[in-house]
Amino acid sequence: MPKSYRDGLPITPDKFVDQLMRLKRGSISRRDFLGLTGLGVATAVMARELGIMPTPAFAAENLGDRMSIATWPNYHDPQTFENFKAETGVAVEVNVFGSNEEMLAKLQAGGSGWSLFVPTNYTISTYKKLGIIEALNMAKLPNFDGKSEDSRFTAEGTIDGTIYAVPKNWGTTGFAVNTKKLTKPMSSWKEFWDTAMAEGDGRTMVHDYQLTTIGNALKYYGYSFNSLKQDELAKAEELLLKVKPHLFAVSSDYQPGMRAGDAWMTMCWTNDGAQLHRDIPEIAYVLGKEGGEIWTDFYAIPKDAPNKPAGYALLNYLMNPKVAVKEHLANGAPSTDARVNALLPKEVLDNPILYPAADLLKPLEFGAAATLTDPGRAELMARFKSA
Amino acid sequence: MTAVPDIEFRAVTKRYGAVTAVSGIDLAIPPSAFVALLGPSGCGKTTCLRMIGGFEQPSEGQVLIRGRDMAGTPPYRRPVNMVFQQYALFPHLDVEENISYGLRQARPRLSSRQISQRAGEALSMVQLAGYGRRKIHELSGGQQQRVALARALVNKPAVLLLDEPLAALDKKLRTDMQIELQNLQREIGITFVLVTHDQEEALSMSDFVCVMNGGRVVQLGQPSEIYDEPANLFVADFVGKTNLLSGKVAGLSGGLVDVALADGTVIAARKRVPLSRGEAVSVSLRPESLSLSAPGGGSLKGIVRNRIFLGSTAEYAIEVQGIGSLLAKADHVIGQGNLFKPGEPVAIGFAAGAPLAFPHTKNNGTNQREDQNAEIVS
Amino acid sequence: MRGSLFRKNLVTTLLLAPAALWLVIFLVLPFIAIAIFSVGERAPEGGYQAALTFAQYANLPARATAFWNTMVLAPIGALACLLVAYPVAYYLALRAPDRWRLILLAMIVIPFWTSLLMRTYAWMYILGGRGIPALLAYVGIEDLRLINTPGAVLLGIVYGYLPLMILPIYVSLERLDRRLLEASADLGATPLSTFLGVTLRLSLPGVMTGFSLVMILLLGEYLIPTLLGGGKVFFIGNALVDLFLQSRNWPFGSAIAITLVLVSVVVLIIANRISTRLSGARRVDLI
Repeated sequence: MPKSYRDGLPITPDKFVDQLMRLKRGSISRRDFLGLTGLGVATAVMARELGIMPTPAFAAENLGDRMSIATWPNYHDPQTFENFKAETGVAVEVNVFGSNEEMLAKLQAGGSGWSLFVPTNYTISTYKKLGIIEALNMAKLPNFDGKSEDSRFTAEGTIDGTIYAVPKNWGTTGFAVNTKKLTKPMSSWKEFWDTAMAEGDGRTMVHDYQLTTIGNALKYYGYSFNSLKQDELAKAEELLLKVKPHLFAVSSDYQPGMRAGDAWMTMCWTNDGAQLHRDIPEIAYVLGKEGGEIWTDFYAIPKDAPNKPAGYALLNYLMNPKVAVKEHLANGAPSTDARVNALLPKEVLDNPILYPAADLLKPLEFGAAATLTDPGRAELMARFKSA
Repeated sequence: MTAVPDIEFRAVTKRYGAVTAVSGIDLAIPPSAFVALLGPSGCGKTTCLRMIGGFEQPSEGQVLIRGRDMAGTPPYRRPVNMVFQQYALFPHLDVEENISYGLRQARPRLSSRQISQRAGEALSMVQLAGYGRRKIHELSGGQQQRVALARALVNKPAVLLLDEPLAALDKKLRTDMQIELQNLQREIGITFVLVTHDQEEALSMSDFVCVMNGGRVVQLGQPSEIYDEPANLFVADFVGKTNLLSGKVAGLSGGLVDVALADGTVIAARKRVPLSRGEAVSVSLRPESLSLSAPGGGSLKGIVRNRIFLGSTAEYAIEVQGIGSLLAKADHVIGQGNLFKPGEPVAIGFAAGAPLAFPHTKNNGTNQREDQNAEIVS
Repeated sequence: MRGSLFRKNLVTTLLLAPAALWLVIFLVLPFIAIAIFSVGERAPEGGYQAALTFAQYANLPARATAFWNTMVLAPIGALACLLVAYPVAYYLALRAPDRWRLILLAMIVIPFWTSLLMRTYAWMYILGGRGIPALLAYVGIEDLRLINTPGAVLLGIVYGYLPLMILPIYVSLERLDRRLLEASADLGATPLSTFLGVTLRLSLPGVMTGFSLVMILLLGEYLIPTLLGGGKVFFIGNALVDLFLQSRNWPFGSAIAITLVLVSVVVLIIANRISTRLSGARRVDLI
C-alpha cells in the first residue's frame, strides 16, 4: 500500500523510468487507477524460477511449486515471498487489485486461480453468502493465535462461530492536508467539504470509491458512514454534486497529486497518510471528529483455490509474528496482533497516524456489508461522477 | 516575322543539381503556330514546356510569353494552359465540372450562366455535348483526351501546351486526334506547343518542328525541311527512317562530295557542313529514295532478305556485300506484280542529290551510335 | 468440374477457417453473451441472473450524461486530432524530402508500440506539478494547474490517437496524383484553391477513415479522461468499467455495451456514406 519513497522527489529521467516499471509491475497504491481502469487483472510474477529449492519443512503435504495471491499493491515485503519460496519451494505469483469490488467481480466470474487473497472486513459476509470462500481449517494454521488478536478487528472474519478469514492489519480513512497551502487547522469532515469549495477549490481529491466518498459526505450531516436511508443519501448526493465542480480529481491514486503539489487535500488511508507525512512533513493526516471508516484487511482462501495446501502454508507463514512484523514495517499499517506489536519499534507504536487517540477512534465505523452490494449507492456514485 | 513571339526563350538553361536538362536555348515561337518540340526522352523538351507553364523556373535566362518576362510568375497567373500527359483530369469532378474548373478560378468572377454556357460550348467543340454529367472514370481514353483539351481551351489561353497528349491512345485514335488537333488549332488560331517523342506525330501535325537533343535545339524548321534537309546526323537519324552508310571522303567536286563506301563503291552526296578529303562520314539515304531493279543497273548490288508488303508500298531489307543491310521502300502499283522475292538479287539505285553526307564526329547533334556499318534506322 | 469446384471451396474454407474461428470465439460468442446478459437481471450480490426483461435498456437514461459527454467528446477529440494530424500528414506526403520521409514516419509510429497507459502516465508527470508548472514557476508563474483540466484530456487524446489519424491521411495524400495539383495551378487556381478544391477533396477518404477510427475508439475511451482529467468527467467507457468492476451490474453494463456497439456501427455507416459521396470514389476502405 505505501508508495515508493521516490514518489516524493523531483522527477528525473531514471526515476521516471523506475516509476514506469513500477507501474508496469502493477505496484501502485491501493484502489488506484488500476482499479478504476479495470487493469487490476494485470499480474506480476515475483518469483519466476521454479522448483529450484527442495521443500523439506513441508514434506508432509505436497505443496506443488507455485501458487498465486490476490492482494493490494505494495502491501507486502517482497522478501517475504522470496523467503517463503526458499523454505517451501513454492513460487508466489502476486496479483494486485484496485478495489474489493473488483476482487469480488473476479471471484464471482470464477477461475481466478488464487489460493489466497486479501479482502477487507465488510466484504467477508458477502463472500461467505455467495459460498466462494473456504471455512478455514485452523489446524493448518498453528501460527495463528486468536487470543493475541484485538477482537475489534477480528470479529468480521468469524461468521456463526466459524472462522472464514484472519486479519492482516487494520487502518482508518481520514484526509491528508498540505498545511502550507491550507493553513487553517481542520479536524472534521464538515471542514473538509467546506474547504474543498473555498480555499481548496480545484485542489481537493476524493476517492473514486463509493464507500468512503459517499460515507464521508454522509458524515458532513452527522449521518452514519454506512447509511442506506434514501433521505440521508439524497442529502449526501446534494453535497457531492455541489462539491464536484470544485474538485481537483475523483481518484483513489492521490499520492502523486499530493506529492507534486497539484492537490492540497485528499481523502486518505492510514498507510498513505503515514507515508506522505514521513516524506513531506507539512502533509498532515486528519481523522474527522464526526467519525468515518475504520477497516481491517483479512486473509481468506477461495473455495476454488487451485492449490489449497500452498495457500494454507503461506497463510500460516504470514501469521508467524516474526514474518508479520516485517510486513508491517514494509506497508506501514497498524497490526491487529499483540505478538506483532510487541516486536514493533516504539516510534511506530507512537505514531498517531497509525495509532490515533482513543477518542478519535471511537466514532469510527467499520464498513457495512450492505454498502458493497447496494445498487442505490452505486447509482449515486455514478451520478456524482457523471455530473 | 515582326510580330512579338508568343513564346520566347532567351539563353535559357535549366539545371537539376549537377544535371543540365536544358542548356542555353534561344527560341522564338511565332503567334498562331503549331509547334512541336521533338526529341528522345531526356532531351529537355518537357522541361522547356514546364518552364513555359511555370512549373519549373529557369536556372539562367528568361522565358517570355507575348513579350512579358515570366520570371516569378506562378503557373496560375500565366496566360497558358496545358493538356497533361495522361490528362490529369480531376477524378472527383464530373466532365462539366472538370471543364469549368478554370472558369471558376477566373477573377473577376464569371456568372454561373457564363460558366455553364462556355463549358457547354467547349463540350460541343470537342464533340462531347451531352457528356457533362459523366464521371471521368466512365469515359474512354479518347473521350478523356477531349475533356482535357476542352478543359484547357475553355480558358482561352494565349498558348496551349500539350505534353505527349496522344501517347496513351491506340494508333487509330491517335491518327484521328492528330487531324482533330490540327483542325482545332486552325479554328481557334492560338499557338499550340506540342511535346512529343514521336517524330511521325511531330511531322504530321505541326507547322514547325523544333528538334532537341541533349538539352539543346538542334534544328528548327518546317516538317519537310527537317525531313529533307536534316541539319546533322542526329536529325537525319531521329526524324524518319533512314539508311546510314559509313565511308570516307574520296573527293570534293563543287557542292558535292564523293564518298567511298566500305565496299569501295563511290557515291556522290550533298553535304551540310564543309568536309575534307579523307574524313570519315555517314551518308544518309532515305528508304524511299532507293529504287530497285533487276540486276544489271544501279549503283549497288544486293540480295533481298525480307519483304514487308504494306499495301500501297512494300519494304525490303536488302543485304549488300561489304556494306550491310539496307532498307528500301517501293510503291506498289496494282496489277504490276513487280515485287522482288526474298533471295532474289537486285540492283539498287537512287536519285542524284538523295545521299546526304555528315561528318562522323560527335557533336551536339550526332547521336550516340558508333556503328561503322550502314543500318536501318527507324 | 464439380470436383474441382469442391476442392476450391474446400481450400477457401480452410484458409478462412482460422480467422473465422478467431472471430467466432473472440467476437461473436462474447457479443452473444453480452446480448443475453443485457436482457437479464442483476443478482442481489451483483453479477448476472437469468431473466427476459428490457428493464436494462429502459434504464439507459440513467447514463444519459455519460452518453452525452461521450457523444460530445468523441467528435471534438477526433476533430482536434484531425487539425493536428492533417498538416503533419500533408508535410510527410507532399513536402518532406524523400530520404527523411521514412524516418519521420517511423518517429510517428514507434511511440505507438508503447502502451497508451504508459504514455498517458508520462503526460501525468509532464503536466503535473513537478512538470511544466515547475518550470513555469522559475519564471514566476506560480500554482498553475494543467493536469486534470479539459485541456489536458484533449491533449492526451490528440497525442494518443495522432498516429491513427496521420497514417490514413498520409496514405491518401501520398497516393494523390501530383499532376492534378499542377493541372489545378495551370487552370488558374491559387495554392489555397488548389488545396481546398483538389488536395483536401481527394484526401477526404483518408480523413474520414482516420476520423471514424479515432471517433470510434474515443467512444470507448476511459483511460485518458481518468488519468489526465482526474476522473471528473464521466464517459460511457468509465460507466462500463464501473458497472462491470465496481457495482457488478453486468446486465446494465451489457445493455450499455450493446448500445455503444450500435452507436459505433451507425457512426461507421455515416462516415462511409459521407466519404463515398465527397470523394466520388466508388468504394472506400475503412481501414
